[in-house]
Amino acid sequence: MKRALYERLRTATAAGASVAVVTRLKDGAQSLFDGERREGTVDLSAEQLTSLRRMLVADRSGVLPGTEDLFVRSYARPPRLIVVGAAHISQFLAPMAALAGFEVVVIDPRRAFASADRFPGVTLIDAWPDQAFETLKLDATTAVVTLTHDPKIDDPALIAALSSPVFYVGALGSKRTHAKRVERLTEVGLGEKAARIHAPVGLDLGGRAPREIAVSILSQVIQVRYRGEAV
Amino acid sequence: MRPCESSGLHGALTGDPRAAAQSRNRAGNSVSANQIYHEAIKALATNAIGNGALASPHGRALIDNPLCGDRVEMDVRLVDGRIAEVAHQVRGCLLCRAAASVIGKHAAGADSGEIERVSQGISDMLAKQTAAPSGWQELDVFAPVHGHRSRYRCVMLPFEALLAALASAGGAVKK
Repeated sequence: MKRALYERLRTATAAGASVAVVTRLKDGAQSLFDGERREGTVDLSAEQLTSLRRMLVADRSGVLPGTEDLFVRSYARPPRLIVVGAAHISQFLAPMAALAGFEVVVIDPRRAFASADRFPGVTLIDAWPDQAFETLKLDATTAVVTLTHDPKIDDPALIAALSSPVFYVGALGSKRTHAKRVERLTEVGLGEKAARIHAPVGLDLGGRAPREIAVSILSQVIQVRYRGEAV
Repeated sequence: MRPCESSGLHGALTGDPRAAAQSRNRAGNSVSANQIYHEAIKALATNAIGNGALASPHGRALIDNPLCGDRVEMDVRLVDGRIAEVAHQVRGCLLCRAAASVIGKHAAGADSGEIERVSQGISDMLAKQTAAPSGWQELDVFAPVHGHRSRYRCVMLPFEALLAALASAGGAVKK
């Protein structure tokens, strides 16, 4: 590895970014990718970039699918789950996701809900989601779930998430609630992107209790992390 | 707690019978009249009159409602003890944004005493159905909120923020 590239890799990982080094096996040429930008001499097609992003999200290394001589080494930081809404479901989802290896952040501007005694050991931000997102980078290894039940808080979070490279977006609410939500997002020009939202949120495990819904959300986030959206 | 935008009040205001059926509006306002109010409130909220921040305000205050998350940041500049400029940044529901807009429209020229009178007036209007405070007839649009006690603070929050901003300007401005 060239020294300059190595330094870039060190800087990126020290800053908490998820990056991948792609090596062309026949001549040893290398590039550093952060999911959007590239540095180095190896270039990838749009299709190959998508495959690379999938590997990076899953923190997997190996030969890039569809190629024989491009080797990907992922340096992904732990996946992050941003939960918008310090709701009852969140009280189960936050510790479960932490046990499953996620960095968990819970955001809720309603201070009465976002209290440390309801969420011990969890990073808690009592701000509006769009404000909180100014410091939290919504990157390719981040998942966003909205659970407040209040569109005035959920919508700004979804608008920001849909305009970012996060690997998963989910929103609590019935099909009827979701149809209205899609209408509002269409009004602000996000109609097509709204198709990315997993709603009703979570895998259909049949459970109704908050702790069971938490399991179904976490399962879906993990599934999308490894299998991608098309499952 | 009921989420702001999907409460019975919304049904009472828009004429959505399903939501209106859940309404606890004890004033018995007719749905069609309230529909007009709803349009006016929506227009006020959308226009966000006075939205922004002042470069060097004499007074600034941030007030929030911990139960619903609404936040109002209010800036004022005073000349001779009267409001010369006001600006607000609101993250909140329709009612809160609409009330801030009314402030943006009407607060210039008022002193603290006047804003205290108006705050008391709107509070009475919501709780006791009294008339809107004189000079601030536009506050009439909030009449249908009467009976929805959990929503009074949505309308009051910008006024609380304005009073706090004026109080914080107290020491900074020589009269």
